[in-house]
Amino acid sequence: MTQPPVASRSSGGPRSAIAAHPITSAVIAILIIASIFFSLYVPLYASATPKIGDFPFFYFYLIAYMPVVAIVLGIVLVLQKRVRPPESAEIPSAAGTGEVTK
Amino acid sequence: MSNVNAVTFTIVLVLFLIVTLVGFAAARWRRAEDMMHLNEWGLGGRGFGTFVAWFLIGGDLYTAYTFIAVPAAVFGAGAVTGFFAVSYTIIVFPIALIFLPRLWSIARAHNYITPADFVRGRYGSRGLSLAIAFTGILALLPYIALQLVGIQAVLTVMGVGTSSTNTFVKDLPLFIAFLVLAIFTYVSGLRAPALIAFIKDTLVYVMIIVAVLYIPTRVGGWGHIFAVGAAHMKAINPATHKPNGVFIPTTSNSQLAFSTLALGSALALMVYPHAVTGVLSTRRRDIIKRNMALLPIYSVMLGFIALLGYVALADKTTAAEVKKAGNAQLAVPYLFQNMFPSWFTGIAFSAIVIGALVPAAIMAIAAANLFTRNIFKEFFKPDASPKLQTRVSQWVSLVVKVGALAFALALPKTFAINLQLLGGVWILQTFPSLVGGLFTRWFHRYALLAGWLAGMLFGTIAAYKVATPTASHWAGSTDIEFGHTVYIGLSAIIINIAVSVILTFIFKAARIPEGTDETLPQEYQADPGEAPAAAPAGVGVGSVGSAGDLPRISSGAVCRFPIYRQEGWLGKDQAAEDIHRLNAHEIVFAPRD
Repeated sequence: MTQPPVASRSSGGPRSAIAAHPITSAVIAILIIASIFFSLYVPLYASATPKIGDFPFFYFYLIAYMPVVAIVLGIVLVLQKRVRPPESAEIPSAAGTGEVTK
Repeated sequence: MSNVNAVTFTIVLVLFLIVTLVGFAAARWRRAEDMMHLNEWGLGGRGFGTFVAWFLIGGDLYTAYTFIAVPAAVFGAGAVTGFFAVSYTIIVFPIALIFLPRLWSIARAHNYITPADFVRGRYGSRGLSLAIAFTGILALLPYIALQLVGIQAVLTVMGVGTSSTNTFVKDLPLFIAFLVLAIFTYVSGLRAPALIAFIKDTLVYVMIIVAVLYIPTRVGGWGHIFAVGAAHMKAINPATHKPNGVFIPTTSNSQLAFSTLALGSALALMVYPHAVTGVLSTRRRDIIKRNMALLPIYSVMLGFIALLGYVALADKTTAAEVKKAGNAQLAVPYLFQNMFPSWFTGIAFSAIVIGALVPAAIMAIAAANLFTRNIFKEFFKPDASPKLQTRVSQWVSLVVKVGALAFALALPKTFAINLQLLGGVWILQTFPSLVGGLFTRWFHRYALLAGWLAGMLFGTIAAYKVATPTASHWAGSTDIEFGHTVYIGLSAIIINIAVSVILTFIFKAARIPEGTDETLPQEYQADPGEAPAAAPAGVGVGSVGSAGDLPRISSGAVCRFPIYRQEGWLGKDQAAEDIHRLNAHEIVFAPRD
């Protein structure tokens, strides 16, 4: 066959970064999997009680989950920066927020 | 037109005119030197930052589906087929965080504009790329149609255009709204929905905060609302002789339906071509990541919007009006009309109409790009110039909207949510090729194609066969597999993956050519600040160095390989490996000892 050896080069980059920070990488994986699992595993929260205010627990749980996911993913981003520092620090505008004025 | 409220109508009309003006003015926003390029028309110059992207992607994901169909489903059937949407918009962000940054990087490195561009480059397969493009267009049509159903619901409640039995006259306001949308999309491309998204979200936020704080106090408080909802779901429906719906999914069957619907829809959402369009329009990789953490805040709103379905049940006037009209889609518009003073009803209705126009525009652009890049250019005119590609996309975006209009008028509307779920079943079948391809090149291209076909056939037939006493076909998106109620899309993708895996083993054993992979491992992590100057025709062999196509030439580079060295944008990771350029198509890695 004349093709390049594709299979061997499919994942080169990330492995080294994960190997360098095994604990941080594991925490990232756990946070992402947990944020998916605790929404998908319905028996955990499918009940009318305890009522929070006037809200049945089922409805309260799902609505309260949203800001929690935002915070968890925010933590994931901070951890990911530690595993893989921003690659192009030479472009300072990336960190800024003022792109609207551009 | 006799029962139209003048104040409401005037406010909707004025806001619609403002949006139209903004839509046309958007062509001048962040103006590029050469607008006749798909990077400009179709991706807004690939330069949006966190702030704009938040509105644009938010405007992409929170559509008329959110404002009309989700509360309608909660109104009609409660938690499983309606409130699952809240669970779905929770998990979509952690899932997307896993693969979207990789998609962004590889698309930026190779100037891919559509998801099918990536599949073409990754697997060197025109057939697989065509399948992805075809599925994308097919899945977008019902989604755009759903936006129309949303606009229609508002117009019906406003009393606009319902007096005639002639379809054309009856839906004339809808045609006009859509024509305006089509023209400003043609002119301004992705810049139009990006700019209008600001207006949309401001209106939507005002609408939802007022609705959530004010309306419950008028119908007896949340406690009463939930009590009515629970009682209604338990009541036996005379047509089906079953309960109306599920208030809290306590049986294992309803829980499985709930979570498979949520998971399947979440997997589907981010592989929709319009979501990819929004993602690729951003300036940097970090912006995608940041938005995945910021967008769930937007979703809190969805939770409350969904609950408006129960609020509508609790208000006797609204519930009676919806029942009389026989269309649950009207629940939220009727609720607003009954509860708000007419001027605020006008604002709320405008929010819904504009909230439908923004995603419809992005979807039409995404479908047009798919056609132009992966069908027109790939199969009919390989040497199409960027200018011609943009021109074709502009025209196709018009055609797509007409197609969606036909879709909306031809299919039963009682549950618009099922239209979107049907599209979801289809688009899910591109998941193994697209997301699988972002992580591994293990799958064989023809195995993926066969898996896609199996998933499409199974999903379509299964969805067609779903019947209820009130509808003979397309009545829902879950069916029973081995005694459990499961989202059809999810069972279809399992079949799809199984076929792909088995055939990959067979095809590899048979040594069927696997195609050339033009991507490099580091490119999936790269964060180039500027779009590389690879030829926009850069899908496939033979494109390197077609200098006439260059969108913006950075540091004089023409062939994309030297760029790695000159600009060093692959970053420090690359230090571990040296790239030896042998020739334009063959690259090997030599790890440093």
